[in-house]
Amino acid sequence: MEAVLKNLSSTVELLAVAANSGAANSGAVEQWDKHTMSRAFDWARYCEHVHSRFHNNPAIRRVMEQQLELTNRSLQDVIPGYTEVSFSDLPRLQHLLLIGLLNNPELPISLIKMLFDTRSPLDNMQSEYQDVTGLCSHIIRCKAACKVLSPLTDLSAAGAEVQGRMLMERLGALLSRGSDTRPAEHFLGCVLQGCQGAGRQFCLVITAALLTTKNSAAQTAPREFLLDWLQNKHSVLQSLCSALPATLLIDLAKEHNKFRDAYCDVLKKWASDMEYCISEGEWVQTSTNPTVSFHKLTEKFMALFEACPSLRANTEKELKALKISDGDFDVKGLSVWGDLLSALNM
Amino acid sequence: MSELQPLSQPQQTAEPLLNVQEMQFWLDKAVAWGQADSPDTQKDTCLHLNRLRDFLQQLLAHINNMSSTAETMKKLPLLGQFLGRLCWNPYVTAGDTCRRLLLQCLWGLYSEHPSNAVERKANQWIRKVLCQLATEEDDGVAQALMKHMGVPAKEYHVNVLKKMVSLLQENIGKSCCSLSDINRRCSCDSILATSDACVPLITCPEASPLIGALLQQPVTCVKEALSEHFLDALSSAYSSWNLSLEEQAVVSLWYHSLPSLEEAVLSLLESVTNTASTPQMLHQQVAQSLLPKACAQHCSMFLVANDIYRSVLKQAEGNESVRSLIQTFTRCFLRELALLQPQTSVSLKAFFPQSPQSLLVPLLTLPSEMPQESWRNHLNWLSGSLQRLTEEEEEGNGDSRSTRGHYKVFETWFLLVQCAHWVQAAVQLLVTSEPEDCGPLLWLLTFYHHPTNRWHHRALQLVRAREAWEHLRSVFLVSARPPIDRLQSLVTPLSSQPQQPSPAPLLTLSLLVNFAVFCQRPLSVSTEVLQMVVHHSGLVDEAACVLSSLELRLSEGSCLSNDRVHLRIKELHKTITHTH
Repeated sequence: MEAVLKNLSSTVELLAVAANSGAANSGAVEQWDKHTMSRAFDWARYCEHVHSRFHNNPAIRRVMEQQLELTNRSLQDVIPGYTEVSFSDLPRLQHLLLIGLLNNPELPISLIKMLFDTRSPLDNMQSEYQDVTGLCSHIIRCKAACKVLSPLTDLSAAGAEVQGRMLMERLGALLSRGSDTRPAEHFLGCVLQGCQGAGRQFCLVITAALLTTKNSAAQTAPREFLLDWLQNKHSVLQSLCSALPATLLIDLAKEHNKFRDAYCDVLKKWASDMEYCISEGEWVQTSTNPTVSFHKLTEKFMALFEACPSLRANTEKELKALKISDGDFDVKGLSVWGDLLSALNM
Repeated sequence: MSELQPLSQPQQTAEPLLNVQEMQFWLDKAVAWGQADSPDTQKDTCLHLNRLRDFLQQLLAHINNMSSTAETMKKLPLLGQFLGRLCWNPYVTAGDTCRRLLLQCLWGLYSEHPSNAVERKANQWIRKVLCQLATEEDDGVAQALMKHMGVPAKEYHVNVLKKMVSLLQENIGKSCCSLSDINRRCSCDSILATSDACVPLITCPEASPLIGALLQQPVTCVKEALSEHFLDALSSAYSSWNLSLEEQAVVSLWYHSLPSLEEAVLSLLESVTNTASTPQMLHQQVAQSLLPKACAQHCSMFLVANDIYRSVLKQAEGNESVRSLIQTFTRCFLRELALLQPQTSVSLKAFFPQSPQSLLVPLLTLPSEMPQESWRNHLNWLSGSLQRLTEEEEEGNGDSRSTRGHYKVFETWFLLVQCAHWVQAAVQLLVTSEPEDCGPLLWLLTFYHHPTNRWHHRALQLVRAREAWEHLRSVFLVSARPPIDRLQSLVTPLSSQPQQPSPAPLLTLSLLVNFAVFCQRPLSVSTEVLQMVVHHSGLVDEAACVLSSLELRLSEGSCLSNDRVHLRIKELHKTITHTH
């Protein structure tokens, strides 16, 4: 373990050397050659492995976090404007190394050429991970290819699917650490923040995450957790229900009972927020951002019942009860529940 | 930057290659492509990729010819802008060749030791562009997610690309035009669009499943579903080894694009005739080329390949390597055909429409598929039929200007070339033939090497061939120890400049080799004779080749493995090649 900690610390120091130019640096990047750079990436990859092996082990993780803290502090003293490397940064250490190097004006041009080397496609298939040559070329190629294909198939949808899958993996990893759900909640909070609130992209990611049908045994815990979290975060849930296309929502409802119920609750909430507007002769939402018309709301209910027939009976009972509490009149415009029931032919 | 200037600086390097107008044209293009993102712009970019590549090549040469970046920038002030714009165009950077050229242009502008502000600025700019290209993310949300989820950018982008590819693959699988449902709108347009969009992605390994799917989707619509542009780009990438495709995808590519099939056949021909290959290597080359397999699946491809072989043969009749190729190709093709349709009796007529139909099955049957005892009868029949066919045509058209007869003779001869295993069987039988039954066999052998009377003097060569055969008989079967002068008379017709019109050296040589292998004389005698003759006539390689193909033929078929024969062949081969 001591050796591992030492290696971790040295690699973080190496990263600092790679990213920073200036006289404070001995062993400066200027002197690096192909071999040195390749070895640096090897060490970064080593740290990535270390993270994947030990991140579920709280004791070891704590020790590593402490070591990193120490290293960070000592580097901060020596290098002005030093950016800390935390334990959660470890899985991306190669990428951080790359960013540091490319931003360093002292990196020899021969090494940059090596990173951007365009090898023949047949070579690419053989040595995917072990070779640093052509690393940047590969990234550029993938990004460009995605853009080229984006008119044909939705890039953001594909992105959301990949992100969703990764989200589930990460959630799974966090939840398997123990009974403490705080890290998982914190993670979701960060993701939410990173997406600048529950915007469309976030909703797509969550949906994709919930719809990933990979080996369900491993996915149950994160899925349940995510659904519970969603149910508790009303604003997010509402944004989801208004931002996403109806078909996706129905898919979600079909897959997950919890979501089905939550969705039904949102629809009922929307109904309860409505007031009858005499001039328009229709029920309208009173909130500041009206998201749905009465007609649309009816359609959504109908679609939901069609997809989940088991819901119909219970909801009908509820709606009837609500209508009764409103006076049980059969006149249009008096009770949103009554009008809803008649629109739904119940 | 070129540090070494050639002493005689060629004056014409830069100027004729690049003019300002061309630069302006491409810059305007780059600007237009960058501004709009409509389907038209995309199409325009893809259509211009080849020309752009050539232009970048010229540009690179130009840059390398300049002595410094400052000079380059002075001569072409728009260069930086142009290259910069191209860097951000995904259609340019997705393909390996364009990307490589673009980067090389940038390296060309980088100065190791900048001597002025322009050069320093250029250096900084180059580093900045490269850093941005590799590390910047346009999607802020994705970037934040990657950070929080601990996913490196490369892994993310690769996965997104793979996801997009698999989504598109699914779409292709679903959207097959079904002739039964006319009401469903033809989705060939979307496939066409997809194939067009894949043009810049041909060298991208992650996209190859999609390209394979495009090539292999069933052709159900009347309209051409794959864009010609796509097929051309694929074909040239494949033939210059820039691309790896699955077997069935290659077959589909050839099926969709006739030029690519022709290219493949011609390159096989070239590789076989340029490098001296043993019969075993030839067999491997042919099998690996996937052409026999493709031809077995699509009759039309077999016909195209044979047409090419016909025209090559007509130009180079005596070229034995071409004839061996044709024979090997046909054999591999027949094997693939048998694998493909083991139950149904394939209509050979479709594959050999121009060949004499009565001879098809008899010739296409391999000697190994027949008991050796029946070879002689079979060969006699074959020889007789062939003789009748050719002599009929030649006599029937007394008018010397008529070419129809010779067309038939040619087709007959071509079929024999394709089925040359029977010629080899005939040579083998000639060793054990008596003077009274060698006639048909000799005729067949002579016909193979000298098909016509008019231009190849078949009748005359038949006489000479018989003489050679008798001579060989006397050497190998009769005398105790061949005197030197008798051997010399064998050498003369084999050597490269024969005095008199004599049979093709290969005719005599194959007879010689077969006699050496199959005669009953002790191995030492055979070895001595063969070595002596071959050595003196300088035909060691050819003799070794004949031995190898004999070995191959005998070991392939289900012939009773005659150890004695194999041993003899091996010894003979060793002797003549080692003592050379």
